[in-house]
Amino acid sequence: MHKIISRRKFHIVWTTILITILALFFLFPLVWMIVSSMKPESQIYSNISSIKAFLPGSFSDWGKAYAGIFSRFNVVRYIINSVFYATSVTIGSIVVNALAGYGFAKFDFTGRKLIFGLLIALLVIPGTTLLIQQFQIAKTIGILNTPLAVILPGISSPFYIYMFRNAFADIPQSITEAAELDGASNFKIFWRVLLPMTLPTIATVGTLSFIGSWNDYVWPLMVLTNSDQFPLQVAITNINSTNPVYMNQVMAILTVSTIPLIFVYIFFQKYLVQGMGSAGNGDK
Amino acid sequence: MKSSGLKRQLGWLYVLPALLILLTFLIIPFLMSFDYSFTDYNILTPWSKHWVGFANYINTFKDPVFLESLKNIAQFVIFIMPIQVGLALALALIVNKKRPWNTFFKISFFAPQVVSLTVVSILWLYILNPDQGLLNGILSVFHIKAQPFLTSPKQAMFTIIGVSAWQGAGYQMLIFLAGLQNIPHSLYEAAELDGANAWQRFLHITLPSLKPTTIMILTTTFISAFNLMIQPMIMTQGGPQNSTMTPIYYIYRTGFTDRQLGYASAMSVIYGIIIIIFTIIQRKITNAGGDENA
Repeated sequence: MHKIISRRKFHIVWTTILITILALFFLFPLVWMIVSSMKPESQIYSNISSIKAFLPGSFSDWGKAYAGIFSRFNVVRYIINSVFYATSVTIGSIVVNALAGYGFAKFDFTGRKLIFGLLIALLVIPGTTLLIQQFQIAKTIGILNTPLAVILPGISSPFYIYMFRNAFADIPQSITEAAELDGASNFKIFWRVLLPMTLPTIATVGTLSFIGSWNDYVWPLMVLTNSDQFPLQVAITNINSTNPVYMNQVMAILTVSTIPLIFVYIFFQKYLVQGMGSAGNGDK
Repeated sequence: MKSSGLKRQLGWLYVLPALLILLTFLIIPFLMSFDYSFTDYNILTPWSKHWVGFANYINTFKDPVFLESLKNIAQFVIFIMPIQVGLALALALIVNKKRPWNTFFKISFFAPQVVSLTVVSILWLYILNPDQGLLNGILSVFHIKAQPFLTSPKQAMFTIIGVSAWQGAGYQMLIFLAGLQNIPHSLYEAAELDGANAWQRFLHITLPSLKPTTIMILTTTFISAFNLMIQPMIMTQGGPQNSTMTPIYYIYRTGFTDRQLGYASAMSVIYGIIIIIFTIIQRKITNAGGDENA
């Protein structure tokens, strides 16, 4: 009996060690990013092949790279831009796609079947192959170098409409009828009664839209030329190619641009799994 | 419930905003790509736009860079599928067991997912620097000689595959985990009573139960892998010797940087059709796999 327990314990110990090594494999780049932002550039290079590479520098140096990057570049501006774009896309995406989902679920308008079929067919069109044509459109309608160019293409998605349609279709007709008997207008029923009932879908669509917009790089790079309008993702590649490039400052801006997403993932993690299907649909 | 004709048409008002945006930024660009693809449209000389027939299409098949990019994306797709999905499954099996520090492991495996592709690409560019990078620093500790990584035509694409799998596996781990936790515990208990060992239980209960989840993850990974662009764009600019050039990135460079809209559109059409065909096949497979989510 004693022997079996100790063998079991041995088994637990060595699997835990192996898994810890695996975990370190996933963590080491991120740990290195953070600690490298907390030491002078010369130390990053001199520490590179010792365990010190994963330890921050002396306490007095911790904030220096951050102070440097914030004074050399208008980082606050980039953060505000990113928050503004991502929030606008999130709200716009929830409202526009929920409206459409409601329309498809609860109204038997002429052409509904045809339009919805078309919408499902649109799911297969890879948006990424159409970047330059989308750019031509943005140029033609005159929204280049405006926030609208960044926000507008991201707020309508066939997949999110599909999710909202299913959510609204699941709500029993009796609820709508009860609200109608109370004399509520059509839009009021949607806004006050039905929309709140699709909260899980709202959370999923909102989270995916926010992350998608926050991480978007190529599209804002194409439609914006004025660096004052850059979101963080574009700004950091710009910073990384603006001489002089200090590695510790680059690591600082990489760290700063990641922090908001950490909170999004912590609070909305459970809604991400539900939205898995969107990953392969080429939505922008 | 029957509603009056006028009220039924109210639905149009609700779907209109979404449809207008999709029309502007998806449907019209899609049609434009066909239109442009038969012309020599160049943004620098928009006044001289001529119909050139199938010349652009014929040229794509003679363009060594485009052909190379197709080969590269095939390489990426073929390797990223087993590596990333296999890794994700292994990670899910690990964190599905009750063991000390489980939450820490789960967070560690998921952590790279939180970082944007742009940040990942820049960060790894520094880690993979052949002369002063962290990875060669670590390798030197184990007396392994410095590797060229992204600067070698042989290693560059595999390096990008590795970085992509490192970043993407954590998210799919969560999906696998959800699938694992849906397997009824009674199945395992029954198998244990029948004397099945751990490996047999994995083979005959876990794997078959995960089939719909696995098919969904495999197919979505497959399709999204075709969109590879940001990593080569930031890390290698498609080099060295076009070894990491991908179709999407090449289309972007031709149409946006080099302003050859006509030729880029022909490539958009060809590559778009390739992706659409694979997506339709994906849907057939997913539906056959008995999963209603996709």
